[in-house]
Amino acid sequence: MALDVTEHAKPPRAVFLPWMMGHHFGVPFHRDLQRRVILECLDHLVSAERSGEVRTLPIPWVQARKEGIEIERRLGLRP
Amino acid sequence: MTETSDGGGGPPRVAQLRPGLWDTVNERYPGSMIDKADFVPLAPLRKPLSECRLVFISTSGVQPKGSMPFDTVHPVGDYSFRRVPSASRPDELEIHQLKYPTASANRDLNVIFPLDRLRELADEGVIGGLAENFYTFIGYNMDPERLERTLAEDIAAAVSEEGADIALAAPA
Amino acid sequence: MSLQYLKDAAAAGDPEKLIRYVRLHFGDGNEEAGRREIDKAWIEALKPLLDVPPTDREFILETIRTRDPATLAHLFFHLHFYLVQRSGEWIHDGNL
Repeated sequence: MALDVTEHAKPPRAVFLPWMMGHHFGVPFHRDLQRRVILECLDHLVSAERSGEVRTLPIPWVQARKEGIEIERRLGLRP
Repeated sequence: MTETSDGGGGPPRVAQLRPGLWDTVNERYPGSMIDKADFVPLAPLRKPLSECRLVFISTSGVQPKGSMPFDTVHPVGDYSFRRVPSASRPDELEIHQLKYPTASANRDLNVIFPLDRLRELADEGVIGGLAENFYTFIGYNMDPERLERTLAEDIAAAVSEEGADIALAAPA
Repeated sequence: MSLQYLKDAAAAGDPEKLIRYVRLHFGDGNEEAGRREIDKAWIEALKPLLDVPPTDREFILETIRTRDPATLAHLFFHLHFYLVQRSGEWIHDGNL
C-alpha cells in the first residue's frame, strides 16, 4: 500500500503491492491472485541478492478489483 | 493509475495509492514512524523452500474468537500479540482493529490473513509446512522503541522456539 | 506522535498538542473528524438520560471510588467508542 513507508523501514526483503489498505493479498475469493502474492514473496525470498531489494507486483488496484467483481459474479455473490 | 514511467526507458515504476504517506503520518504523529538508517544483512536461505516451515506474522488484529480482544481504544496502543493456530478455520477467527478497512477481510479473511492459501501451498509441498502458530498484533502503536524492544523481540523469540525457517510478515 | 512527544507536552503543560492527539486518535488521523466524533459521543451520552431512567448509581460510585485513575481513564476511552458506535454512524472503516 505505501512504498515510502516500506522504504523508510528498510526490511531486508519486501514485495510491494500497489493496492488498497486491508487488501495485501488481493480481493475476496480471488484465490489465484492471493496465491500469486505469496508465490511472489517466496520467489523473492529465494532470489533477492541484496538487502533492501523491493520487488513490485505490477497489477494495478483497478485490475485486481475488476477481476474480483467478475469472480464474485460467477460465484453468484453479486448481481 | 498505479503505473508510471520515469521517462528514462527503465522499468515502469509502481506508485502507491496514497503518495507521501510516510511524510503525512509523520507530520500528524511526530516520531511515531520507523525510519532505519541502514539495511540489515540479508540472511541467506539455508535449505530448499520445500523443506522450510513458514510462520506468518501480521498486523491485521486477527485473533482466535474468545481471546482477549486487542485494545483498539487505548491512546498509546497495544503491545501484546496473539498466537493464531495455523490449523484454524477462518470462522474461528475475528478481527479487532480499527485503522484499516476490514469489509473485504470480513468476507474472505485470506485478503489479509491468507491461511487457506498458505495451507494449500504446504499441502502441495511448495513449502515444507507451517509453524504451529501464526502471530498477530495491531499496528497503531505510538512508541516505536517499545514496539521494537518488546513486541518485535517477543514475537521473534516465540517464532524461533517454534522452529520456523522462514517468515512472511504482512502489514494491514 | 511518539509517546515521548506526548509526555513532553504533558510535562510542559501544552494542552493543544495533547488534545490534537486525542482528536487524531478518534478521527483515525483526521483532526476535524475527531472533533466531530467527540461531539457525537457527548450527544449519545446525553440522549439516554433525557427521560431520566433509573441508573445504577451504586455501580458508578463504587467503580469511581475503588478503581485506579488509569483504569478509569481507559474506561473513558472505551466509553467514547461505545457511544459513537451507538450513534449508528461508524467512521472507523479505515477510509479516512
